Amino acid sequence: MRENEENGLPAGMAPEGKIEVPAGGLVLPDSEKGGIVNAWSLSLVGAVVVLTVLCTVWPDPYLEILRFLPGGLVVTFEVTILSIVCAIPLGLITGLGRLSHNRVINLIASTYVEVIRGIPLLVQIFYIYYALAKFLQVSGLTSAVIAISFCYGAYMGEVFRAGIMAVPKGQTEASRSLGFNKVQTMLFVVLPQALRTIIPPVGNECIAMLKDTSLVSVMAMPDLMQFGRSFAAKSYLYFETYTVIALIYLIITLLLSKAVSILESRLNYYDKRK
Amino acid sequence: MLRRLLCALLLPALLCSSAMAAEKLVVATNPEWPPMEFLDDNKNIIGYDVDMFKAVAAEAGMEAEFIMTAWDGIFAGVAAGNYDVVASAVTITPERQKAFAFTVPYYDVQQIVVLRKGDSASGFADLKGKVLGGQIGTTGIFVAQKSGVDMTIREYDNVGLAMQDLLNSRIDAVVCDSPVALYYANQKEGFADQLTVAFRTEATESFGFVVRKDRKDLVERLNKGIEAVRAKGIEAELIRKWLGE
Amino acid sequence: MTNANSAEPIIRIEHVWKFFGELPALQDVSLHVYQGQRVVIIGPSGSGKSTLLRSINRLEEINSGLISVDGIDVNDPKNDINKIRQNLGMVFQQFNLFPHKTVLQNLTMAPCRLRGMPRKEAEELALRLLNKVGISDKAHAYPAMLSGGQQQRVAIARALAMQPELMLFDEPTSALDPEMVGEVLDVMVNLARDGMTMICVTHEMGFARTVADVVVFMDKGQILEVGSPEDIYEHPQHPRLQQFLKQVL
Repeated sequence: MRENEENGLPAGMAPEGKIEVPAGGLVLPDSEKGGIVNAWSLSLVGAVVVLTVLCTVWPDPYLEILRFLPGGLVVTFEVTILSIVCAIPLGLITGLGRLSHNRVINLIASTYVEVIRGIPLLVQIFYIYYALAKFLQVSGLTSAVIAISFCYGAYMGEVFRAGIMAVPKGQTEASRSLGFNKVQTMLFVVLPQALRTIIPPVGNECIAMLKDTSLVSVMAMPDLMQFGRSFAAKSYLYFETYTVIALIYLIITLLLSKAVSILESRLNYYDKRK
Repeated sequence: MLRRLLCALLLPALLCSSAMAAEKLVVATNPEWPPMEFLDDNKNIIGYDVDMFKAVAAEAGMEAEFIMTAWDGIFAGVAAGNYDVVASAVTITPERQKAFAFTVPYYDVQQIVVLRKGDSASGFADLKGKVLGGQIGTTGIFVAQKSGVDMTIREYDNVGLAMQDLLNSRIDAVVCDSPVALYYANQKEGFADQLTVAFRTEATESFGFVVRKDRKDLVERLNKGIEAVRAKGIEAELIRKWLGE
Repeated sequence: MTNANSAEPIIRIEHVWKFFGELPALQDVSLHVYQGQRVVIIGPSGSGKSTLLRSINRLEEINSGLISVDGIDVNDPKNDINKIRQNLGMVFQQFNLFPHKTVLQNLTMAPCRLRGMPRKEAEELALRLLNKVGISDKAHAYPAMLSGGQQQRVAIARALAMQPELMLFDEPTSALDPEMVGEVLDVMVNLARDGMTMICVTHEMGFARTVADVVVFMDKGQILEVGSPEDIYEHPQHPRLQQFLKQVL
């Protein structure tokens, strides 16, 4: 409250500005529970309404902040999409490696997962960008994509491993007994089924990835977060700037989580009984 | 209401603990700005600003306890009342004056652009199409943005990272306050032999100590302290010690 | 087997040992199966009958001995096991249909991808086989929409789609509700009448009596008795077979 007063904001706006975020990550919208009022729609409508009200009632500074940000949004999406494109194949390879009966491959994949999971992403970003610069210099974007996709590749490796393991052994046996080799069995029988278990957690990882791209601002990458920091540092409007930044991240992640749940229900096509 | 309650509870405790001691100010600084403020090998915050503010506070009959803060957010902290003063090479600007109270200027600087040895530039115009780095939210960045020259400006968390990227050739130039630029270009090991000063801005900026807008009383006491420090020749001594001028 | 048949057996199992850890699952098992023969393997659970069946197409790897199909050693890494398996249809207790494929796709997948059969031809073959097992109307359904008996009939059709020389049945009716056992057995009986060489692990005595040429009794990883259905069911020799039949009947 004190901050509001100092920043010349009406005291009454704080309750509106409060956004409820489900604890422990995002709750994927549950289509089963239906209805218009659920946590997802409440959050989305709330976020959009708050943002719209702020921008119409106090265009200075809110609309100004909003206008300042699109450049950062482009970088945020660029880093996220490139990281997803790299992390998913990496996760698949890691997951398969962790399931491999070949000792060497298994050891490599497992060590990779152990090492990466034990190092915070922020440290990895610093390491690749600043520490490794001694030997090899890559741009901020490349460092960001390498750091994030290596980090999430390890997490996704576990997701893929679990998804593949969740496919009943009988499926593999049926496929092998028909004469399909290991690779064909994986491609035609196991992976398409594993996808169903894998999609929701992978989708969640992708959303988490989008949120974690905010860390790349430490490499002076001009992403959404960096644009916000830059704006706040210039204007000293911390409350206003970070409110807008938080709302934008929230709206994007809510929309993405909806997309994931739609994709998930699409993949359930073969489960629906007549 | 809550604040009052807290004060009522905390005040006696604070008074007891510092019954005999002088009034203590909590001072925030971002110690990544050598030689104005930085960490020595033992993680102590040292530098011109530290010594200067301690002298000023002593003259004003107070003590200063320095705490480390990230530059990004240092102003938000003083606004929120997390500490009393910011003593961190803060340039007095009209925008900042709108939001905070400043003491009288205690040191004047310019902005300097640093390049790798072998490169040259005599003004921002020569940096057209180049990549310029600096510390986020510092006047160096603002000056570069205001120049209107078409260049990429990258805002780092601290100037050291920008200097590091300059050495690594990821950026072409770094802009920062003159004492800091001179420290990196002339003094700091590993940097001095590879960097060179390209040019300095004509405009002069002045550093001031920052307090919350509603604490004019404190500003006045500090201003008196600055006066006394100057009169006693302590300032000249500190400038010699830290800035070698 | 001491069948005085001059022809080479399709399946030759010689002195096979298989261990799960330290437990012997197969102990010095030998068996020959000839073209057109219908072999039924019976025995208490844990007797190694499924393990023996699964060793034939190398779903289980044996520790010693020899198993050959058409004279080709299935455990020799030089031989392409995938080629051998294409010739051995297998039906599982749990059906193991591919749930993400329609019934038709379940049948056409292997012929198209493994035999390079044109899709149209594969679909015609599939529909013919579905007709044969009596569920051609479900061609475009997903397995989850079918009853257990229907699924198992599709599974048989899927194995047949590869036009194998021999069919292996691993307790095909054990997971079915009683009212569905009949429809699956009917399909198997018809298959037997068409002259398909079959090895069935099953407890269905009626089926064994109707179609089997040879009944094999296994217990504790050993083949204890081999004979015609009549020999086995009417005149059991081995005391453990006698005891087993008493429990089952």
